[in-house]
Formats: sequence, C-alpha cells, structure tokens
Amino acid sequence: MLKIDNLHAEVDGKPILKGISLAINAGEIHAIMGPNGSGKSTLSYVLAGRPGYEVTGGSVTFFPPLPLAGGAGGGPETASEAGPPLTQFQVNDAPHRSGQAGGLTDLKLASGRGIDLLALEPHERAALGIFLGFQYPVEIPGVSNVQFLRTALNAQRRARGEDELSAGDFLRLARAQADALGLDMEMMKRAVNVGFSGGEKKRNEMVQMGIIDPTLAILDETDSGLDIDALRVVGEGINRIMRKPDKAVLLITHYQRLLDIVRPDFVHVLAGGRIVRSGGPELALELEREGYGELAA
Amino acid sequence: MSLLELPSNRAEEWRWSDLSALPAYAEAAPTGDVPADLPWIDCEISGPRLLFVDGEFDAAGSDPRGVKVSPVRDRPGIQPLADLAGAEARAGYVIALGANGAASGLVQIVHVSTGGAAHLSNRIMLQANAQASVVETHVGTGWSNLTTAVELGDSARLMRVIRVLKDGGAHTDFAMASVGAGASYAGVALVTGADSARIEHDILVSGAGAYAEAGGALLARGTQKLEGVTVLRHATPLGTSRQLWRSVADDRATCSVMAQVKVDRHAQKTDAEQSLKGLLLDRGAQINAKPELEIFADDVKCAHGATVGELDRNALFYLESRGVTPDEAKALLTRSFIADALDRVGEEAVRAACYADVDAWFSTSSLVPSEVEGRP
Repeated sequence: MLKIDNLHAEVDGKPILKGISLAINAGEIHAIMGPNGSGKSTLSYVLAGRPGYEVTGGSVTFFPPLPLAGGAGGGPETASEAGPPLTQFQVNDAPHRSGQAGGLTDLKLASGRGIDLLALEPHERAALGIFLGFQYPVEIPGVSNVQFLRTALNAQRRARGEDELSAGDFLRLARAQADALGLDMEMMKRAVNVGFSGGEKKRNEMVQMGIIDPTLAILDETDSGLDIDALRVVGEGINRIMRKPDKAVLLITHYQRLLDIVRPDFVHVLAGGRIVRSGGPELALELEREGYGELAA
Repeated sequence: MSLLELPSNRAEEWRWSDLSALPAYAEAAPTGDVPADLPWIDCEISGPRLLFVDGEFDAAGSDPRGVKVSPVRDRPGIQPLADLAGAEARAGYVIALGANGAASGLVQIVHVSTGGAAHLSNRIMLQANAQASVVETHVGTGWSNLTTAVELGDSARLMRVIRVLKDGGAHTDFAMASVGAGASYAGVALVTGADSARIEHDILVSGAGAYAEAGGALLARGTQKLEGVTVLRHATPLGTSRQLWRSVADDRATCSVMAQVKVDRHAQKTDAEQSLKGLLLDRGAQINAKPELEIFADDVKCAHGATVGELDRNALFYLESRGVTPDEAKALLTRSFIADALDRVGEEAVRAACYADVDAWFSTSSLVPSEVEGRP
C-alpha cells in the first residue's frame, strides 16, 4: 500500500530524515517508536504533505488498494480544465511524465503501479485515503466540527467522483462515530478542538478518522495525553476503524500500553532519522524493558 | 447640489476615505432597474418592510406598518456627507416608539441604488424601555449616502444591522446616536460590496450604565476600499462599550478602521473595549487599524487591541490534511475570523443571512488556486 524508499527530508535546511525505507502492505499495522527528536513526527508530516517539510531525496509511492478507474481512453491527458476528479488518476507503468503544470494533471507517476505521493497536495493525499492523526490537534475557533468534517468528507467524495452526503446522512454518521468514541454529540457542534481537553482532542481525531474512513492512517502519538480509560477507547477505535484487510496503519508511539490494545504486526525503531531496527511486537516489549539507549547510540 | 465641500484626505478622520468617485455619481442618472429578487430576510415574525429605490420610497414594494416615511431635516454641521444627506434627502424613515413600545417584528429596510446618487435622512427614537431591531440592506451600483439620528431613552434597546451587498458603487453611512441610562445600542455592519464604503458611528453614551456597541466585518477584494469609523464617547459613569471590527482584504483591496473611545472626566467605572483585527489574504492588500483612546477619568477599564495577520498555516494544513481544498480551507478560516463580529448580531435570522452573505462573497470569489509550489 505504501512504499517509502530512501526518504530524506529537512526542515529549515536541517536534515531530519536521513534515508528511511519502509513498506506497508494492506492489512498491516506498523508501529514506529524512537527517542524524542528522532524524526517520527517529521515522517508523518512529510507523508501528509505539510508545507515547510522539504523532501531532498527518495520517494514515497502509494498503491491504492482498489483499482482506480482510469481515464476512458487510457491516454494520460484526459483531464478537463475544471480540474479532474481523482478518479482520473492514472495508474500505469510509464516513467515520470514531466513538464506538465498545475493540479492533478501533473501527477508524476512513480515507476511501478503506484502514485507518487510527494507530488500531491495535502488535500489530494487525503482524498486518496490518507489520514494524519495529529499529535497536537489544531484549535479552529468559529468553525464547528460538524461543518469542518462535512466540508472535508464531501470534498473527498467529490474528488473521488462520489455523491456528496446530505446534512442528515452526515449527522447520522457523525453521531454514530462520536457515540462509539464516547464523545458527546454536543461537542461535535462546537468549534473544532476549542475548549477541548487533551484527551478530548485525541478522541476527536479518532471520531474524524471514523467519519472519514481512510485507507491508510498515520497516527502521530495519538496516545499521548490520554488517561488509561481514554487510551482503551481510542485504541479500540483504531482497531474498529482500521483493522481491515484493505487498510493499514502507521502508528507512532512512545509507549507499549497502546500497543497492548492495537497489536502491531511490525515494530520499527527510528533513531537519528533512520530506521535502525525492525521486528515483531516483541521488539516493543524489549524497548519498554531496556530503553532506546543502545539502539540510538 | 454642491459637492465642492467634500472632505479632503488631508483631514485625519478622512485620511483613508476614497471619495473621488462621488462627484461622478452625483452627476449620473439612475437606470431604475430594480432587481426582481430583493434581499428580504425570512423570519418567523415578519415585521415592517420598507423599500427605497434611488432615495425614493417605493410604497408598492413596502409594508411600513406604522413606520413613518419622511425625510428628516437635521441641523447641519454634524459631518459633511451627513449634512449633504440631510439637505438633499427626498425620503427617509422615522421609527418612533413610545415608552415600553416594541416594533412588530424585525424592521427591514432595503435600499436599491440603480446608479447616480441617493440621499436619505432617517431617525430612530425609542422612548423609555422601548425595543426595536432594524436591518438595512443595500444593493445596487450607485452611491447611497445616509444619515441616521438615533435617540434611545432610558433602558431602550436597539439592534441595528447594516448590510452593504452592492455590486460596485459607493456607500457612505453616518449614524449619530445618544444612549440613555441603562439603554443599549448595538450597530453591526457587514460590507461585502461597493467600490468604496464608509460606515461611521458617532455615539454618545449619555446615561449612566448604558451599553453601546459599534463594529462589524469588512470583506474587500479587487480594488475595493472599505472603511469603518467609530467615535464613542462616554459622558456618564458605569457605561460599557464594545468596538469590534474584523477586516478581510484580498487582492489589492484596502480596509481601514478608525475607532475612538473618549471617556469624560466624570465617566468613572467605564468599561470600554476595542478589538480591531485584520486578515490579509494577499500580500498586495492593505489593512489600516487605528485604535484611539482619550481617557480623562481615573477609574476605568479600557482594553484595546489591533492586529493584522495572515491565515494560520497550521490551521490551513489541518483542514487540508482532512481533504478540504485550499480554497475551501481559506473560506472556512476567514469565515471563522469574522465570526466574532457577526455573532454580535442578536437576531438569529439576521445572523444567518449575514453568514449567507459571506458565503456568497466567497462563492463569487476570484480566488485563484494557491500558487503552484514547486516540489523537488
């Protein structure tokens, strides 16, 4: 589903990621652990396309789990001027097209049957099914959660050539997800994350994930700031929403506790901008016992 | 009529005004083409409706229900454009309510200006404990020049909303209000149209414990020049005032706000607050904010803040990471930026109409998709 190959990235001219390679297949949950400052959050931002995080080398290729409808003629330029929907993503074996400018017609296709994620804007990546759970969810005064999420979901649906959800259908969906995560529906009507406690913000991230129903979730320290009960609710939310054969999760965490609930298939240790060790769930236990000291050295 | 006495930009209180087009409007003739769809607001209890076309009362399109229609002749010397409106007005409205009176629902006034100049002179007088909610909506392409005198008796309450939704043209709007003891005046403006507009309040908090508020939202793009001006004087103790302006400027547009608070020596325990915030959607746009305080009392609380900024990049990224397109994200955040100002509008139907106006402003936006950023 996702192939990260020798990824290098810098922030403000300072190299942070120094050659990360990682393959995530559908149905898998990967945990990334590592000491502070090792590049975990940078990796999540680079994958989501945050401005200011400059990729200086390597590639990230996204393989949609379902075959995407190609342009009718199979030609590379079927896009209309109005901006093509994402259903016109071309998936082919051709080498990079170059010299095209503007919007989604400018997809630089990586070799192989995949989409060059780094060529896409953040909202285009979201429409492909990529979700970033923020370590520090942003407060947006004056915009209600309901309004924000309905706008987001419908923008994604439009981009995929699907019908928009009606207000009623959306509210039913939002209520179901809020209930499942123990977040009062009244809070969903309030401004995005404003006045939310740390734990409520994280639950809200999971409600958003449930509503958006992504293909690949990148969760950046979703467990930080949660008490034990909230951790369980959030962890079970991740399992419920994401543990499916056609989905995958990249879970960034510091603690074993979340991994007791969301059992990873693979655990990687990130240190100094590189993956220094990979293993199964037992690696997380070992880290919990012995710390990063030796690995990060 | 003589426009020779138009204020000059050299006068401090007119330094950001653009009155250059006014003489041409004064010479131009209106077309008289009234749009079929007028911006009346649907509300539960439908109140009086007044329609003015090019400064004349349109009886057929109105339902005044006790609101009198007649130009108000005020003593001149208040402010040059207000004086002109007072002298030239052929029509105007008078909302007069006796003690404990209440208007039968929301009073709606729609002004259509089809070109040329339209002068109106109005008065709102509410006696003790009377209450009214008035919304004036301006559409069209000419110059509308209004002056409105407001007198609020003890404990009277007036909510006054001005929507300027014109497709070009000019708008100059002056209100002079005196607010009696325990009374409340709230003036909120939403300006999205007009090539140039000036919304001006001169408010005297004349009774103890009164509340006065003037502010609004200015949304400008292209080469629009929009302006909010408030002079608010506390002459009595225990008064409260709020001046809350939100300006949004895109392209090469300019928004300017001058807000003054004067606290007289005897106006102890005054609580005055000014919040002037500007949002630049383009680096070529301009926002001016000038908070002014003149305080002669020693036991008062006067807060003031003026900021100009751009959209929060973190918030933009948060929205976009959920699939919201850059244009939609910009619109959502801008809407939230002006929410403080529009939320001052008490009547729900009017507030909803204002938000709909803002959405309409965005949907007619010339916003270009954010610059194509080169990615390695």
